[in-house]
Amino acid sequence: MASTSTRAPVGLSSVTRDGIGASPRRPDGTLKVTGEFAYSSDMWMEDMLWGATLRSPHPHAEILGIDVSGALRLPGVYAVLTHEDVPGEKRYGLEYRDQPVLAFGKVRYKGEPVAIVAADHPETARRALERIKVDYRVLEPVSDARRAALDPDCPLVHEEGSLPLHEEHNQRGNRVRYQPIRTGAFADGASVEEVRALADVVVTGEYEVGMQDQAFLGPESGLAVPAEDGGVDLYIATQWLHVDQRQIAPCLGLPADKVRLTLAGVGGAFGAREDLSMQIHACMLALHTGKPVKFVYNREESFFGHVHRHPATMRYEHGAKRDGTLVYATMEIVLDGGAYASATPAVVGVASSLGIGPYEVPHVSVDAYGVYTTNPPCGAMRGFGAVQACFGYESQMDRLAAELGMDPVDLRIKNAVSQGSRIITGQEIDMPMPMAEMLRRAREMPLPPDRSSLPAPSDPRTLPGGVANTSHGEGIVRGIGYGVGLKNLCFSEGFDDYSTARVRLEVVGGEPAVTVHTAAAEVGQGLVTVKGQIARTELGVERVTILPSDTRVGSAGSSSASRQSYMTGGAVKTACEAVRERVFALVRERGLVEDGHPDALLSLSGGKVVSAAEGVLISLADLLGGEAIEETREYHHRPTQMLDPSRGQGSSHTQFGMCVHRAVVDVDVELGLVKVVALDAVQDVGKVMHPQQLAGQIQGASAQGLGLALMEEIQVHDGVIRNPSFTDYLIPTILDTPPMRIDVLEHPDPHAPYGLRGAGEPPTLSSTPAIVAAVRNATGRPLTHAPVRPEDIVGIDPPQG
Amino acid sequence: MNPFDYRRAEDAAGAVATVAADPRAMFLGGGTNLVDHLKLGIVDPDLLVDVTRLLPDGVEPLPDGGVRIGAGMRNSDLAADPLIRRRYPVLSQALLSGASGQLRNAATTGGNLLQRTRCVYFQDVTMACNKRRPGSGCSAFGGYTRYHAILGASEHCIATHPSDMAVALSALDATVVVQGTDGERRVAMTELHRLPGDAPERDTVLRHGDLITAVELPDLPFAARSRYRKVRDRASYAFALVSVAAAVDLSDGVIREARIALGGVAHKPWRATRAEAELRGARPTEETLRAAAEAELAEARPVEGNEFKPTLARNTLVATLRDLVEEERTR
Repeated sequence: MASTSTRAPVGLSSVTRDGIGASPRRPDGTLKVTGEFAYSSDMWMEDMLWGATLRSPHPHAEILGIDVSGALRLPGVYAVLTHEDVPGEKRYGLEYRDQPVLAFGKVRYKGEPVAIVAADHPETARRALERIKVDYRVLEPVSDARRAALDPDCPLVHEEGSLPLHEEHNQRGNRVRYQPIRTGAFADGASVEEVRALADVVVTGEYEVGMQDQAFLGPESGLAVPAEDGGVDLYIATQWLHVDQRQIAPCLGLPADKVRLTLAGVGGAFGAREDLSMQIHACMLALHTGKPVKFVYNREESFFGHVHRHPATMRYEHGAKRDGTLVYATMEIVLDGGAYASATPAVVGVASSLGIGPYEVPHVSVDAYGVYTTNPPCGAMRGFGAVQACFGYESQMDRLAAELGMDPVDLRIKNAVSQGSRIITGQEIDMPMPMAEMLRRAREMPLPPDRSSLPAPSDPRTLPGGVANTSHGEGIVRGIGYGVGLKNLCFSEGFDDYSTARVRLEVVGGEPAVTVHTAAAEVGQGLVTVKGQIARTELGVERVTILPSDTRVGSAGSSSASRQSYMTGGAVKTACEAVRERVFALVRERGLVEDGHPDALLSLSGGKVVSAAEGVLISLADLLGGEAIEETREYHHRPTQMLDPSRGQGSSHTQFGMCVHRAVVDVDVELGLVKVVALDAVQDVGKVMHPQQLAGQIQGASAQGLGLALMEEIQVHDGVIRNPSFTDYLIPTILDTPPMRIDVLEHPDPHAPYGLRGAGEPPTLSSTPAIVAAVRNATGRPLTHAPVRPEDIVGIDPPQG
Repeated sequence: MNPFDYRRAEDAAGAVATVAADPRAMFLGGGTNLVDHLKLGIVDPDLLVDVTRLLPDGVEPLPDGGVRIGAGMRNSDLAADPLIRRRYPVLSQALLSGASGQLRNAATTGGNLLQRTRCVYFQDVTMACNKRRPGSGCSAFGGYTRYHAILGASEHCIATHPSDMAVALSALDATVVVQGTDGERRVAMTELHRLPGDAPERDTVLRHGDLITAVELPDLPFAARSRYRKVRDRASYAFALVSVAAAVDLSDGVIREARIALGGVAHKPWRATRAEAELRGARPTEETLRAAAEAELAEARPVEGNEFKPTLARNTLVATLRDLVEEERTR
């Protein structure tokens, strides 16, 4: 769209509205807020059956036998299927193919699917489940992740030799992946003792991050419809249609083109829909019965039906010079992957490569383990791997600042990375990374007024603990804390990632109109809006229709890793450019410009072809007439490398994003209650595509980090989830959520479309450690576990007498 | 959920007769707890008798200076009642700290008293639980016990009663009016709920078919300055780790009377009689308040996983009393 002209285009009455940088209304927004949007659980066909899943009651058990005859005899039951009925491959998986479609031999977590039923009513299906008899021999659970990682005598979750091993990930025993990183003296074989001698000050710390749930509102649901060609059409709420297709088809024994997927209304994802849930089950039952089959998990089942954020235990040691210059860092992190690999290999890749955060450290040793246990499977969740590590390294930076008597922000600035720095994998940060400036900006933001300066009585809703259990403001201590998070954006480690877009320009009703078709999953993030904005900007046409996402067009990749604005945005932009070139070719063919008139002087705006020199040449309606121009393009990001398995070196990441948080908390130290008073963020997004949606992403990610800081934790005891409901698994309500000031920077990444950076994840990293740091600042407590609970603040009195 | 009959009762006597005659019948009030339990498979009745239309649902003053609360009164209406807010603010505060707005709009006074424990092992029908299946054992020991009892528990059950409202009613010396097959009787609020002992399946002293029709509060002028405080993991819609309902009668710098109950610590709303006795006649200093709290908690027996509760309960009790004393002093 570059124009070299200084003259305004002649005859152009209006520019194109609602392009990039504006905040047009979401196409699905009105339906969603009025309750009319059709989510996947709303799908209905007259003759459909209801699917239900029998799940293992044990975390670890041998299956001695399954008897489905009682269930089959129940009137209204159309099919009861077990692993014996899986037509093709018995296992599937996102990264490793290790997860049974239906359990055989063993169950490895409580909630693992063992059998599926289709019946004429959901209640009939549920009762049929009760009539399936499974004979189990209960085995000892493998519930200690650290033991699974480090103890060679730990029982194996997957039998030796039962799965092919991924050597590139040092997979062995219960280790799904082990990734070491060694730099500086550590790469030369120096011991910790030798390196420690280089430092004046040493701090160590052990930290834990609990198992967080994505807590989307729309539970898993889908509808499979058998097709006349022997294939199946699946309508499903997912994050990546083509990776589902790639996993489903082999298990059904069908070619991919006979398994067609269409995105159904997605009620949130946050990583929890990256793995399959009932996709294969619904298709199996539909193909078996010849009828459409619908599954909807209820809330409790949903907690067993998707992966969670890996709980992590971390051990850190940091050494610095007296002036605060970091000398070395060591980190050991154990990530509990649960029964199946899911995204664990990628999580380990992120946690290790970003394990010490955005700091310049000459000597680093990292050991990152992702392990199998018989706990609930863990996989993708917003910011994966980086969220856990960020809580660890930021806690360490505060601890080091305290040890040095330095201001925590000054210590961070002193060691901050910037453009041209290399992270511990040797990868150069070859894009703007103004971390020091961001920290300064966060520090200089106005602070909320101190409670003592407010006229009493202040609004009880602003006091720790909310309305019914507040103090009057006495005994409340304020604390301030900072967090910085470095996040990889887009897929990493050598994956040739791409997205596909098909863009069509034609005249409809006398007006130019654009149709954009991709397979990208709208999961609530607003990609559907951004695709339209890009088409408007690139083609100068306001009327843009976004087609439903399905597998009739090439893969768009996953709606994860903050990648869709970059990847599918890039694909739509590229396809639009191809369409535009053909428009310009048409302009030349028609003799509307002289031969040799450079494309750079042409543009599309307001539905017209505009020459920088001559103004409006022709309207698109007149130019195209009945002709349609359609182009399909794949967009690939630049290649990345694997980390080498012994020293963890390699440029594994596509792009880096950063967010800085400053949290202000009021703590009632007597009752252990925390009120987050302010949670302010500075984030560099490269280019703001949609200001309103960007604010939503940053605020939402900050709130999700607040949840992890103060309340969100799936309680797993002996391999069993103890709080599988939204009454017992607590996420922040509006009463817990403070005002958020957001300072957005736009330093463009030269490698990315429009210079943009994925924005949805980085605030999830930094918000948690900032809040916990603020609570530490207020209480003086070490607080090494996220989430922090009232008892961590109040402590326990020593026993009397 | 299994099929059941639903009947809307026309009068209390008829409802009581119907339920009392059928061991597989249950009363249905607001349904906020019972419907959950039907779905989870904790209860499996053949018949639900809806009593929401027949129960009184207002607050009326009594000739002796007390008030009578209809058992059908919704929690949000009771919390907002001007008389309650003026004379028994602790009750209003307790109600508002419980559940969510939508649940309070549905939940009734009688039903709130009879809600069952949130013990996660009680709610998981695949686990042993003496309360759900007598004699099967208690899975909570050694498990997830943050919400479990530290006072009055037994080896058979360490569950807690989840109600906030009941804690306030206990502190206020409320009386529960019960309609049974042999007529109306009155049960002291402090006697309504049981300690688990060896029969944790019985939450209350009520018999099958007994229907709570009203709750009465005595005339208690000093309750006009009463307070409910609740410690929980988020600001709304969360159960209490510990809660305190308290009212203090202070004159000439001496505590004449105190009414205190604790929530989240026992199988029933825990009336803190020891603390009350310690405070009677005492000058409210930080030391005496703390001594009273410690006297009450001297018998506390935490289990693995809730060792923090005696400290948190003591702090909450002291903070609540201190608040009340300050309020009295500055009045």
